[in-house]
Amino acid sequence: MIRPLLFLLLTALACRAIEPAAFTIKTMTAQMKYDTAELLVQPGQPVKILFENGDDLPHNLVFCQPGTDTAAMAMKQMEKPEEALKRNWLPDDPRIWLHSKMLNPHEKEELSFTAPAKPGTYPYVCTFPGHALTMRGEMKVAPMGEGLKDLQFALYLGNWSQLPDFSKLKPHREGKVDDNLIQVKLDDYKNEFGVVFTGKLIAPRKGSYRFFLSSDDGARIHIDGTEVVAYDGIHPAGDIKEKGIPLDKGEHTLRLEYFQGGGNIELYAAWKGADFQITPLSKWLHPNWKGGAKKQKEFDPIPLVVKDEPVIYRNFIQGAGNRGIGVGYPGGINLAWSAESMNLALIWRGAFLDAAKHWNSRGGGHQAPLGYDVLQPTGEVTPAFHITDKPETAWPAYDKAKRHAGFEWKGYTLDAKRAPTFRYTWQEAEIEETFTTEGNGNKPDGNAKLIRTVKINGKLPENTWYRLGVGMFENKDGAHILKSPKPCRITATDAQLAGPNLVIPAKPGTMTITYQWAQ
Amino acid sequence: MKRPLALLFALCPVLFAADPVEADYYKITTFQTPKETAMEVGSIDLLPDGRLVMGNRRGEIWIVSGAGSDDPSNVSYQLFASGLHEVLGIAYNPKDKNIYATTRYEITRLKDVDGDGRADVFDNVNDGWGVSGDYHEYAIGSRFDKAGDLWVTLCLTGSFSSAVPFRGWALRIQPDGKMVPTCSGIRSPGGMGFDADGEVYYCDNQGPWHGSCTLQHLVPGSFQGHPGGNVWYDQAPNMGPKPIDPIPEAFQGDRGRKEARPGGDPGRMVQERERIKELLPPAVYLVHGKIGNSATAIICDTSGGKFGPFSKQLFVADQSHSNLSRVFLETINGIKQGVVFPFRLGFNSGLIGGRMDEEGRVFVGGSDRGWGARGGKPFCFEKCEWTGKTPFEVHEMRAKPDGFELTFTHAVDPTTAGDVKSYSMREFTYAYREQYGGDEIDEIIPKITAAQVAEDGKSVRLTISPLTQGHIHELHLDGVRSAEKLPLLHTVGYYTLNEIPAR
Repeated sequence: MIRPLLFLLLTALACRAIEPAAFTIKTMTAQMKYDTAELLVQPGQPVKILFENGDDLPHNLVFCQPGTDTAAMAMKQMEKPEEALKRNWLPDDPRIWLHSKMLNPHEKEELSFTAPAKPGTYPYVCTFPGHALTMRGEMKVAPMGEGLKDLQFALYLGNWSQLPDFSKLKPHREGKVDDNLIQVKLDDYKNEFGVVFTGKLIAPRKGSYRFFLSSDDGARIHIDGTEVVAYDGIHPAGDIKEKGIPLDKGEHTLRLEYFQGGGNIELYAAWKGADFQITPLSKWLHPNWKGGAKKQKEFDPIPLVVKDEPVIYRNFIQGAGNRGIGVGYPGGINLAWSAESMNLALIWRGAFLDAAKHWNSRGGGHQAPLGYDVLQPTGEVTPAFHITDKPETAWPAYDKAKRHAGFEWKGYTLDAKRAPTFRYTWQEAEIEETFTTEGNGNKPDGNAKLIRTVKINGKLPENTWYRLGVGMFENKDGAHILKSPKPCRITATDAQLAGPNLVIPAKPGTMTITYQWAQ
Repeated sequence: MKRPLALLFALCPVLFAADPVEADYYKITTFQTPKETAMEVGSIDLLPDGRLVMGNRRGEIWIVSGAGSDDPSNVSYQLFASGLHEVLGIAYNPKDKNIYATTRYEITRLKDVDGDGRADVFDNVNDGWGVSGDYHEYAIGSRFDKAGDLWVTLCLTGSFSSAVPFRGWALRIQPDGKMVPTCSGIRSPGGMGFDADGEVYYCDNQGPWHGSCTLQHLVPGSFQGHPGGNVWYDQAPNMGPKPIDPIPEAFQGDRGRKEARPGGDPGRMVQERERIKELLPPAVYLVHGKIGNSATAIICDTSGGKFGPFSKQLFVADQSHSNLSRVFLETINGIKQGVVFPFRLGFNSGLIGGRMDEEGRVFVGGSDRGWGARGGKPFCFEKCEWTGKTPFEVHEMRAKPDGFELTFTHAVDPTTAGDVKSYSMREFTYAYREQYGGDEIDEIIPKITAAQVAEDGKSVRLTISPLTQGHIHELHLDGVRSAEKLPLLHTVGYYTLNEIPAR
C-alpha cells in the first residue's frame, strides 16, 4: 500500500510547479551569527543561496540531516585537530549533505541545490572551531498548506483606537475576495475604517495548528467563533503575534477583524500545521518572513536605568566622538561629554542609553541616545575654547584621526551625589566643568534645564573665546534660542552672537551656562 | 581461542578508563557571580590583603573577597567602579596603593578618597594613543613591571591596519604618565603577562602575518611581525628608523592593494629575520587549532611549588578553546623560545583574564562574546587549583645542538623511555604572509636516532636529525611510561626552534 501513495505524492509534487527559492545568507560582522535564522522551502524546490561572509573571520555554511547535534558534530573535530585542519574544519560526517567552502573574510559563494524531498528541519551551522554554538540556523522543508476558501469581506466606517464590536455595527459595503487572500482594498478609505474577513479553512487532519498575525493598526483572528490571536490597538506592524490551537479534521471558519486608524495600512495572516509550513493567508507578507527567510532578532535591549544617582557610561556614543562619556542624571536629563574635544557633546531628555549594542557580541558601533530631544548644541566633537580675532568664523573641525592640539584630558571626580566634574587643561589654564539639573526631563513641560558651571584657573591667551553653541539662533527674552533640530534655549552672562557662534570672551573665573529644552 | 581474546578486548576499555585525567591533578571551581551583571572577566589582579580586583568587558571593576576559600560560597563581590570602556587590564600599584585600569582609550587611576568602597576620582594617567571608533581597537593592559611601568598592547584597526597612532604597538607608561612607544608589529593582542624574571610577553592571534596564535616576547625596540602599524615610526623617535617591510611577494590576495600574485611563494619568518634586523620571531607558536585559537592571559607560576611541579613556567589561556596551556621557555642566542603543552581543558567559557595568587591558586574568567567559545557558557569566573597529586608530564624540553633534552615530573620507565619507537616527531612552519592565517607547511619528518635515559630516570636525551631552524618541532611521546607504568597525561608538545644552540 505504501508504494502507490508515494507515487501519488511524487506525482502531486511533479504536477505542481514549484517556483525556485532564492535567499541570501550573510554573516553578521563581529556577531558570530548568520543574519538568517530560518529558511522555509518546499520539498523538491529548487533553491539558490548566496552565502556572503562579511565578517573578518573565516566561516562556512554546512547543512545537515534533521536531528543532527551540530554543535557536537563541530566539536568532535577537536578530537583530531590535525585531520580537521586538513579538511579546513569541515567535519567528516555522513549527516552533512551540502556545504559551502570555508570562506575567507569578504568572500562569497553561491549554492544551488534541490531541497530534500523529505520534509523536516535541516540545521545549518558554521563548523569553524568555536562558532557552532551561536552561528547556526534551520532550513525547514515542508509543503505549503491550503489557503482560504470562499473569502468574504465587510467594510465598516468609524474612528476607533481599538477593535470595536463589529457585530453591533452595520457594514458600509460587503463583497467577495476573488483571489481568496486577505487584503485591504483601499477604495476611497485610507483612514478610520474597519474590515471583517470571513472564509473557510480545511484542516487536513486532527491536530495542532498555529496562526500568525501582524497588522497596522489592530487585528484579531477567530476560528469557529473563538479568538485565537489578537494584536489590538494603534501600532505599526512590528511584531508577528502567534498562537497554536487544536483543530479537528475538516472545515473551519476563520474570521479576521481589522481596523485602521491612520497612517500605514498593513495586514499579515498565516497558518501552519504539523504537515505544512507557514502558509500566508494574506497578500501582504511581513518583512520578517518575506521570501520564507526569518532574519535574526536584534539584541534585546539593555537599558541603563538611572535611579537616585548619576550613571556614567563610557563607550562609543553617536555624536560624541570616540571618547564619549555618557552621564544620565536622575530626573531624565542626560549628557555626553567628549574626552576628545573636552566639551559637552550631546544633551537629551528621557531615557539614558541602551547598552545592548556594546554588551552583545564584539561591542562595535556608536550607540545613539535612548531618550529624545537629542541636541548637539556645541557642534560635533569641537572644543569650546578657541583663539581668534574673528569669533564669527568656523571653530576647529572634528577629525577622528587627530586630537585637538593644546588640550590634555585629566579625568573626572565624583561628588557626594556621584555627579562628575570633568577636568582638563588647555594651554596654561586648568578647567573644571560640572553639571547640575533642574526640572524633570521626562515631562514635556519645558522646565528641564542643564546648568553647566565652568571654572577656569590660570592664564588664558589673548582673544580666547568660549563657544556655548553653534547654529541658527533666535534672540528671545534675553536668551538665545538655538533653532535646529529642536529648539534649545541657552543663557549665560556676556553671551554674544558672532555669526553662527554663540560665544563668551573667556577669562579666568567661573561661568554659568544654562541649556534648556525650549517649547 | 576466539572467545577469550574477545573477552580481553571487552575488558580493555575498563582498564584504560582508569587512566589519569586532568581533573585528577588540577581542579576547577566555578564561582557564582552577581546577578545584576554579566561577569565577563577581562582582567584580574591581587590586592595586598588577598582580595582580587577584577575588570570586566561591561566596564565594571569588582573587588572580590573570599575567592581563595575552599568553599566557593564564601565569595563576595563589591562594585568598585562602573561605566568604563571595557576593562582589559587591571593593576594594583603597590607604590601609590591605587588601582589602575586599562580601558579602550586610556589608562585610568582610580581612587576611593571618601573611603566608601567605591572609586570617586578617575584620573587619566595616559591616553596618548588613537581610537577611531572601530570595535577591534582593543587595548590590553599589563600589571606593573619591575620598573614600575604599565604596558599596553593596542590591536590594529579592524585587526588589519592602523588608522590612528600606535594601533599595532606596545607602549610603556612610566610612573610619571609619560608614554614610551616600545615595540611595533602587534596585530591583535589577547593578553599580557610576565615571566618569572619579569620579562614582558603578550599573546597575538592568528591572522595576517600570523599563521597561528603566538606567545611573543616584548623586547624594547623590536618589531613583532605585523607591518600595519609601522606608519607611526615618525612619532616614535626613540625607536630609530622604521624597519624595512616584509617581502611584498608574501601578499597574495587583493585586500586594498589590488596586487594579486597567485602562486608567489610567501616568505618565512626565519628568512625575513635575516633581512629585517628588528624582527623578533614569536617565542612560542600556540599551534592553531591544537593548542588554541584565541590566546589571551599569560600567568606565571610564582607560587614556589604550590601549583604543582611547574614552578616559573607560564600558563596561557585561550578564549575559543576555554583552556589553559603550559609553556616552558629558554633563551638561546639571546632569543626566547620554548615549548607548549596542553594543560587543562574544561573551563566554562572563553578565558580572557587570569592571575595566580601567592597560594598558587589560578583565578581565571572571561566570556564567549563575539568569537564563540567551547566552554558553552556566556561568561565565567573560575579557580584552578593543584590537587596535590603530581601528574606524569614532560617537565621541561630544552633544545640541544642535535636534539632535545626532556625532563619529567616522575621517573620514567627506562625501557619505554629509552626506545626511540616511543616517540615521533614532525616539523613544520607557517608562511610569513599578509593573507589570513595559513597552513602548516614545509613539513619534515626527522629521524629520532637515540633516546638516552639519564641515570636518575628523570630525563631523556633525544637525538634528532635534522633539526630545522624556524620550524615548530611537534613531539609525540605516546609510548613513554613512568616507572609506575602510567602514560603521560599529555603526550604532545610543540617546540618553536627559533635558534639551534651551539652547545
